Amino acid sequence: MAASRLALGAGLVLAVIYPILLQLGGYPFYQTIGFLVLLNAMLGIGWNVIGGWTGQFDFGPQVFFAVGAYVAALLFIHVGLSPWLGMPVAVLVAMLVCAVVTYPLTRLRGHYFAISTVAIWMIAQPIGATWEFINGSRGLFIPVETGQSTLRSIASLQFAGRTKALGYYYAALGLFLLALALVRLVERSKLGFYFRAIRDDQEGAEGIGIDSRLYKVIARCITAGVFAAGGVLYGFWALAVFPEQVLDLNWSTLPMMATVVGGIGRLWGPVLGAVILIPISQIMSTTLGTGPLAGRGIDLIVYGLIIILIAALRPTGLLSLPWSRWFRRPA
Amino acid sequence: MGFLYALVAVGLTIIWGLMEMINFAHGEFLMLGMFGAWWLSVTYGLDPLLSIVPIGLAMYGAGVLVYRLLMRRVQRGDPFTQIFATVGLLFLIQNSAVAVFTSDYQYLSNTLLTRLSGSNLHILGINVGVPLLIGALLALVLFLALYFLIDRTEFGLALQATAEDREAAMLVGIRPQRMFAVAWGLGAALVAVAGCILANFFAVSPQVGFPFTVLAYAIVALGGFGSILGTLLAALVVGVIQSVTTVYLPPAFKDAFVFGSYLLIGLFRPQGLFGRF
Repeated sequence: MAASRLALGAGLVLAVIYPILLQLGGYPFYQTIGFLVLLNAMLGIGWNVIGGWTGQFDFGPQVFFAVGAYVAALLFIHVGLSPWLGMPVAVLVAMLVCAVVTYPLTRLRGHYFAISTVAIWMIAQPIGATWEFINGSRGLFIPVETGQSTLRSIASLQFAGRTKALGYYYAALGLFLLALALVRLVERSKLGFYFRAIRDDQEGAEGIGIDSRLYKVIARCITAGVFAAGGVLYGFWALAVFPEQVLDLNWSTLPMMATVVGGIGRLWGPVLGAVILIPISQIMSTTLGTGPLAGRGIDLIVYGLIIILIAALRPTGLLSLPWSRWFRRPA
Repeated sequence: MGFLYALVAVGLTIIWGLMEMINFAHGEFLMLGMFGAWWLSVTYGLDPLLSIVPIGLAMYGAGVLVYRLLMRRVQRGDPFTQIFATVGLLFLIQNSAVAVFTSDYQYLSNTLLTRLSGSNLHILGINVGVPLLIGALLALVLFLALYFLIDRTEFGLALQATAEDREAAMLVGIRPQRMFAVAWGLGAALVAVAGCILANFFAVSPQVGFPFTVLAYAIVALGGFGSILGTLLAALVVGVIQSVTTVYLPPAFKDAFVFGSYLLIGLFRPQGLFGRF
């Protein structure tokens, strides 16, 4: 236990300090990698609740990512509400939408549930692209206010210029830690045990009085809430909300892959997975540059290989390897 | 259109419906078939309708290989390992295609079917384009051949027996591994053949597969697990839903309605329209 606590402390210190060093060194690009790692790790933590503990495969959480991004952007544009206040509203709206949409789906099990979440996503796409209230496929632009004082830009979650990457990095770090703490709380509460009971034996869980449909909805709403918060952050980072961007399938596949690579159903699984996977893509796109193989999806080929290898050789993920035994007893 | 969907979906019926294995890379086999047809047509001038034979054989081999190298290892584990193994396969195949062919859209021209594209036939007062009709007929023939193979021959019975109960099938002298490999080969070959035909109607690009994958899943679930004729009928229903909704609504909504009906049927008749169990 002591070793893992040490690793945890070191990781936290590194996560807090490294962007400042980069800022001084003048490489803010690598801060953006950190931002994406944290965002995807956070989404992975959220997905783990429905996919890892409750065992229900959700391919459509990007719908709630989009709901979050849209709600906060609309509130900011029309009401002038700060995204920090818009975020709880967005999370609540996403959870509400999720509850209404998911309850009927919980009648379905296994692959059927997974495909019905894809179906919801397929239905959400044309709605996002044609609904005039959210400007259809033209998208929403978030007006930038430049030249604000540091405090005001923190309050409005708008960072511009040289400190943009730094500001969003810390915003993502804060949200990531919040999500981690909340989900950890859920994991150790009665809820977490209900979820795992449903995954391991749904009939058995029902037999001892757990309403499996209700708890599946609760689990997916937690996932939806985390995705909505991520969507708010992403919307303000990109300064625009386009339906095809926030409804992109990658917002569920990347966090999912991170979860599986790191260890499905383990709190730290998605974090490890995101730390491994996300930089691969970002660093590849810089090293390949404008060479002949640039933009040819080499990074995604690597992702595919990693996922195949994990699924075939160690489906419970990297964290499930007997690390402590390897380290404690050096041969 | 419905007949072509049927051909796409029937490969999945075998793998998913019959053998109960999940394959999210199904559409990527279709995409490979389309690229194969395009490549043979551009370099050797082979008509896509003729390239059905070499591509079907090649993809049969590819399907068997995928089973032997990958799926056999994840078959017994949690269902999620199958999902992820095939999602990984999807990424691998799709982006290898991007690396080799780039993401540009490719069009086939001067094939047998595109040359016929001006002509229409009047059947029962409805205008039907000849190319689509030929494609549909081909799909139907292949479909019926498959139906007889699965439902009427000893081999098909062995396949069904393996799906039903592996151990019992082994006791009567069926090798389950071989049956699964054949099923994967057949599934891949069928969908690649569908790709050869579809290449006449759709632009070919590495990203073309995934929408077909989800459509195929909806069709198989609609038609009822493991029911081959059910798949055909469901595919026709889906084709009709798409054409009817495009008349009244913006075309972006055509898939939304297909999936809406999938959800409704999934909720009220989980065994599908024509399911046996």
